[in-house]
Amino acid sequence: MNIDDWKSQVKRGTLEFCILLLIKKQPSYGYEIISTLDQYPIIAAKENTIYPLLRRLLKEEFISSCWQEGTEGLPPRKYYSLTAKGEEYISAMSVEWDNLLNAINEIKGEKA
Amino acid sequence: MKKILDNYLEKMEKCLRPVPVSERIDIINEIKSEMQELQNNGVSDEMIIERLGNPKDLAKAYLGDLITKEKGFSWNRVLIICAFFSLVGFSGMVVIPCLGVIAPTFIVCGAICPCLGLIKLIDQIFHLGLPFADNIGIFVSESFILNPLVEFILILLIGVLMFFAGIAAWKLLVFYCKKVSGTAKRLFV
Repeated sequence: MNIDDWKSQVKRGTLEFCILLLIKKQPSYGYEIISTLDQYPIIAAKENTIYPLLRRLLKEEFISSCWQEGTEGLPPRKYYSLTAKGEEYISAMSVEWDNLLNAINEIKGEKA
Repeated sequence: MKKILDNYLEKMEKCLRPVPVSERIDIINEIKSEMQELQNNGVSDEMIIERLGNPKDLAKAYLGDLITKEKGFSWNRVLIICAFFSLVGFSGMVVIPCLGVIAPTFIVCGAICPCLGLIKLIDQIFHLGLPFADNIGIFVSESFILNPLVEFILILLIGVLMFFAGIAAWKLLVFYCKKVSGTAKRLFV
């Protein structure tokens, strides 16, 4: 039984949602996002996934970015924050996510 | 920043050529920022490279997005590509062979010119009567013959001009080829 294939599909479908939720909580930079996601194996992803995804979200104007000068030995960081359009997108996704969870729960319940 | 990290960024930048310059710089800066972030956390340079993976693959991950964005079929794109190849096809037929012949010929002639001029000058000063020396030089008219020294200087000048014209033609050819391949890359990546 190979669950990894399915897991990567779930990840692909939900990573965008998770990143937007993270940025909504507080503006964040690439490395911080990657580190936070790293705590949850199911959505952990590498640089070659996260950075291009962030750029796509930027281009679609769900998030905006702003470089912040490094201070006290810290490197300059590119902070991402949620835009109004991003807020809307998250609410729409949240609705669908709840629908999905409800559907799964109901189906599970019926079968049991 | 250590050399292997700089190398890494350089390799990435090369692979990111199809991306507009400002975005490319932004991408590189962001990766650089993460490298510094990792260094501050005490991660060794080797581990950083290992974590980021192959620079080409990381760059390609950014390009992947570009491809899917531009792949959409549109008549506009077809027209642009047709126009591009018509222009390059026709201009290439004329430009490349012309410049290709002009450049080396002018450079060689430019180099030979002063040599011949010098031979004529020596011939005239020492009255050597070298064969065919009369065929060298600037012919004005039967009655008017240039002073040998003036003639030599003129020949030298013409030689230098030809030489630089050859170099210019060569540079133009290189510029043309680079421009064409650059545009082609942008159209198809």
